[in-house]
Amino acid sequence: MLSLRDVGWRAGPTPIVERVTFEAGAGEFIALTGRNGAGKSTLLDLIAGLRAPVQGDIAVNGRSLAQWTPLERARAVSHLPQTVHVQSPVTVDQLVMMGRYPHADRWFESEEDRLAVEASMAACGCLEFRDRRVTTLSGGERQRVLLAACLAQRPKVLLLDEPAAFLDIDQQLNCFDLLKRQAEAGVLCIAVSHDLNLALGFCTRLIVLAGRTIACDLAVPDAVNRTDWLPYFSTRLERVMTSDGRARICYR
Amino acid sequence: MTLDVRGRRWVLWSAAAFIAAALLLPFVGPSPLDLSRVWAREAPDWSILVQLRLSRTLLGLFAGAALALGGCVFQAMLRDALATPYTLGVSTGASLGAVLAIALNWQAIGGVSAIWAGAMAGAACVLFFVLGTSVRQQEISPFGLLLAGVATNSVCSALILLVYGLSGMGASFAIARWLIGSLDAIDYGPLAVFMATVTLLAILIVRQARAWNLIAMGEEWAGTRGADVRQLMRFGYISGSVLAAITVAVTGPIGFIGLVVPHLVRARLTADGRVLMPCAFFLGGVLLASCDALGRVVLAPAEVPAGAITACVGGPYLIWLVRRRT
Repeated sequence: MLSLRDVGWRAGPTPIVERVTFEAGAGEFIALTGRNGAGKSTLLDLIAGLRAPVQGDIAVNGRSLAQWTPLERARAVSHLPQTVHVQSPVTVDQLVMMGRYPHADRWFESEEDRLAVEASMAACGCLEFRDRRVTTLSGGERQRVLLAACLAQRPKVLLLDEPAAFLDIDQQLNCFDLLKRQAEAGVLCIAVSHDLNLALGFCTRLIVLAGRTIACDLAVPDAVNRTDWLPYFSTRLERVMTSDGRARICYR
Repeated sequence: MTLDVRGRRWVLWSAAAFIAAALLLPFVGPSPLDLSRVWAREAPDWSILVQLRLSRTLLGLFAGAALALGGCVFQAMLRDALATPYTLGVSTGASLGAVLAIALNWQAIGGVSAIWAGAMAGAACVLFFVLGTSVRQQEISPFGLLLAGVATNSVCSALILLVYGLSGMGASFAIARWLIGSLDAIDYGPLAVFMATVTLLAILIVRQARAWNLIAMGEEWAGTRGADVRQLMRFGYISGSVLAAITVAVTGPIGFIGLVVPHLVRARLTADGRVLMPCAFFLGGVLLASCDALGRVVLAPAEVPAGAITACVGGPYLIWLVRRRT
């Protein structure tokens, strides 16, 4: 469904990512990880079409992203930025409805749009505060609303830039649970994350960026059995097996 | 009740207020009009109404509408609650051009009033300069725009003061008067061109209301929801600045309408551009035309310029707004 071939991007003369090649299909939930500055957000922006690759090509459903209009692209690919500054007094309802932009061609949204919005608000647990202003919500509630807007877009590829960064532990688990269910329903989810335990617990595949390119690309069941990828993050990590046979990454 | 039902009602009410203002405000003025003589189309009441007051009211309505709509666009694009159509320095550029035309005592250039021509030229220079300096790799940076706008504003203000200081008594009085911003009776020819331009731009801007909603949340957000961000921003900066420039050319720099009206509508009605933008357009017009009507009678027979009234109303509102934000 998604294929990257030899993709590179540079900021002015400075290369940020180089020679990135991978393919991913429906139902995968990929954790995109690596140290700060490894190029995770840049790669996500490239797949979202926010930046155009300087080298190589990115294709969704066999068609190069450069050939898509912004509307066509938004019907297939949704992206949740790391931070969204909400200043204007929009309500939750209005914000989630923004996800319907690429589908609604009328001035006001149709019944179908309203149903899609309600379904995604229910999935993200934000129906009960649909009439509140977004500026009055807590960080966790707000993230659920933004996620609901992305789901209302009914994307085939869902890209998330550190979706759990500002959430408490319970909300982080809920968020990854939700993404896992989306993946099981056939959406390709790619989430930038620094939390390796969340990645091992919920994702199906782990892509580690280091040295501006993909350092390792492992299915999660393989990653659990190996430790050679840990030094890409820190030399002070170790893998611990719990009594029920799960792998945990701990700090030394 | 869903937003589209309520929203349509709000838009209809503001449009009704706009039309009511066009019909009623011409009757407000220092000398009362005799309705029977107006009805019989007798001089001087009929010509006062049609030649002076009606044209002036229509000018106020469309100038206020243009400024308020421009404010909506700039507040969405710059994601700054204090942005106005003047933020990029277009109004001080226009003022500098107009002030030069007054100081040099030019009357008309190619059949167009020299003040209007000077103001349009000044605004165009500033717009090209500010947009040109803030483009990096074909992307317009909002932060660069704000900085370039602030810098241009202060340079143009300094030049205006310089021209003001160097010109004679008569010219400096005309300059001071022009810089407050006021509405005057205007010929129907230029008025029609002004109204048609404002209406056309307003239709083009409001048609994109759903995309402006996305832009107000951030360019990344808008881009991956399917808006063509680069094209939309370019269109917004140019159309918003043209609205401001043609308005400043005809009325002088009238303050606060472009700031206050979008905020009022957003706080009282909705932040959804599909309702916000048309409501701000109509209510901005009503506010400016009413301020002007007030200025005609409050110190009659002297007139208080509309710009002074909007500043007296807008200043306190701005302070209240800033205090509530911090």
